[in-house]
Amino acid sequence: MYEAVFTAGGRSTLVLLPFDLDRAIADWAAMRRGMVGTRPEAFSRAEWAYLISFLDPEGLERVFTDTFGGRQAGESRLAMQEVARPGGPVAVWLPNNVSLLGSLTLILLTLTGNPVRIKSGSRGDDLTCLFLDYASQNLSEGELKEILSQQVDAQVFSRTDTRNAEWAALARTRLVFGSDAAVEAIHALPHPMDSVGFSFGHRQSEAWLEPDACDDRTLESLLRVFDVYGQNACTSPGRVVLLEGTAHQAFEIRDRLLSLWETFFKRDPEMAVASASILDHQWAASLGWNSRLARRHGAAFAVGQADLPDPRGQRLLPLLSLSIPEAIASLPECIQTIGHAVSPERRRMLPAQVAIRGVKRFVPLAEMHRFGPIWDGQSFWRGTFDRMEIS
Amino acid sequence: MTDLIGRPPYGPRDDETLLSELNELTRHHRKYCAPFARIWPDWSGSSRIEDLPYLHVGLFKRGAFTTEFPGVRRGRTLRSSGSGGPVSRIALDEESSTLQSRSAAAILEDLLGSHRRPLFILDRAQGLRERSGLSARLAAAMSLRPLASEIHFLLPNTDSDDEVDWHRIEAALDADSGADVIVYGLTSILWDAWASRSIPEPLRSRLSETRVAFVHSGGWKRLEARRVDSNSLERELLATSGRGSRVLDFYGLVEQVGLVYPLCAEGFRHVPVWADVIVRSALTLDPLESEPGLLQLLNVLARGTPSHSVLTEDLGRLVPGSCPCGRSGKRFDLLGRVPKAEVRGCSNV
Repeated sequence: MYEAVFTAGGRSTLVLLPFDLDRAIADWAAMRRGMVGTRPEAFSRAEWAYLISFLDPEGLERVFTDTFGGRQAGESRLAMQEVARPGGPVAVWLPNNVSLLGSLTLILLTLTGNPVRIKSGSRGDDLTCLFLDYASQNLSEGELKEILSQQVDAQVFSRTDTRNAEWAALARTRLVFGSDAAVEAIHALPHPMDSVGFSFGHRQSEAWLEPDACDDRTLESLLRVFDVYGQNACTSPGRVVLLEGTAHQAFEIRDRLLSLWETFFKRDPEMAVASASILDHQWAASLGWNSRLARRHGAAFAVGQADLPDPRGQRLLPLLSLSIPEAIASLPECIQTIGHAVSPERRRMLPAQVAIRGVKRFVPLAEMHRFGPIWDGQSFWRGTFDRMEIS
Repeated sequence: MTDLIGRPPYGPRDDETLLSELNELTRHHRKYCAPFARIWPDWSGSSRIEDLPYLHVGLFKRGAFTTEFPGVRRGRTLRSSGSGGPVSRIALDEESSTLQSRSAAAILEDLLGSHRRPLFILDRAQGLRERSGLSARLAAAMSLRPLASEIHFLLPNTDSDDEVDWHRIEAALDADSGADVIVYGLTSILWDAWASRSIPEPLRSRLSETRVAFVHSGGWKRLEARRVDSNSLERELLATSGRGSRVLDFYGLVEQVGLVYPLCAEGFRHVPVWADVIVRSALTLDPLESEPGLLQLLNVLARGTPSHSVLTEDLGRLVPGSCPCGRSGKRFDLLGRVPKAEVRGCSNV
């Protein structure tokens, strides 16, 4: 058994793993070199680039250090307060048409030493199985490659398939991503009494900007975060709130977004994307929003007031100016992430104010889509370990 | 109302009158449908048909777009046959329904003749009794009513779409002295329930002496996935029916009630004089002369809902020149749906 010691706040944790952690991280990192220039067609450029950056060895090491504390050199076991070891089989349920969630979860879970089963939806491309195949073929020989072939099972089946019940009955940890109803249905399946379930249901996110912080770089970040998934991800900015801004500033920033779009997005969108933008643009206008289509109909940007109906659509980014109390009061119940571009003072002040509304992440704009071992406020990755207290 | 509906559907076009009527209709919708007016706030009139306002067809899945003009008498609501996703809802009104029935009848009579004959519908009758609305597929079937001497629904009142009541056909043929019938079904149901089935004797022999006009609509998506094309469907259908039988594929949208676009013998779809078709670039919305693009469908029939000018998610191409089939005016190729972009995220779809 491989052993590593981590310390946080004077508390040390001995982590036991059935593989050499450093070697596994190095193997993932080594695969990155080959990934450059060999993108499987099913992955978009943005998705593949994100996967490459996610496999950065420092990032993977940080999963452990953020969870257990700084890594201790040597094998000293003095004053150990906890032993963490793989808890047992992990089963993951993904929704349909999901982007990288499956692949990223898979990467993180391979570092826990647990057997992993991942179920993808039966509609849409299955990027998880594709990534698993890619990794199985391209990882260098070693323990990580063996883990992928022997410990990881990725399958595609529907929500009515009998394997849902089989997997729930065997899993020590259930990670369920999907609609609230789908999450509820999986957790309602018979499961071991001492198993753990993590629920990742329907969530929405927002971008909060101060007008003074809206330089071109900030607006570029906003556009890039929006363009990746439009409004289709739980981390997509469902609306842009200009904190303490004016209506005039909202129009001015909307027009700058239109102009910057022309600068940064030269490639023509797919016809379906253009059609969706036209639809969203007209829908927003029909509700009273002042909407404009971006160049070649890659997106639509609309300015409105708080009392107008939510114009949410796939390719529409709505902007409105609100006071901070208005912005907080109008957060949706299922708020997940606020991506921010605010002054340092507001950066210090706002988290405490928004936390009471259930916000799970308050991160810089560019990090809105960043996935990690804590999701929706739940330490799911840590939850896959079995822990023994020592005193 | 409209001066155009009484004219032969594929006679000489009078686009001046069409433009005038479409301008009037657009003003009517702007006046009585606030969401429509909000989308086109600055419009006051167009000097060309391609400059007239339009609505993206997806809007009818998102909200209630109705035109509440004084004296409007509402009928049922038409529902598109969505496959799991949101459905379009079109609120019918008496005035428009009259025009829409006349339109469908005139177009279909042009292709099938105006004499009445038994109409067999591969659907179930119970859908007609639903108070909440009428499905698009039943509405399409009922557009053939003006050509029917009697109507027979052939599917049982269960969820099954491929169990045909063959005895009902036999009894109807025995009772009818003619040897000429229409069979209507969604394209996929026509294949599943009829073309790929073994028709029992003695009906099989009887049908081989009957002239059947098979009429279908709804598109090929489901059958393409099973590698069934129009040639296979036509071959199987005509193999079991008598001389003079034919297969008619028509295109229509629930958002364009009353307008059907059947394929002519030369393989094109013709535009009746009370309608127009524009092909637009999705990236610029510019009209395209002969390149493929998004189909925009216009008509002068829809007064109770602003569906008189819709930008569809269907791909088409205008075909220049006159058609050897003899029909005048515009014609187009229907090229299928806009290829769906893979919509990824972690949204709960």
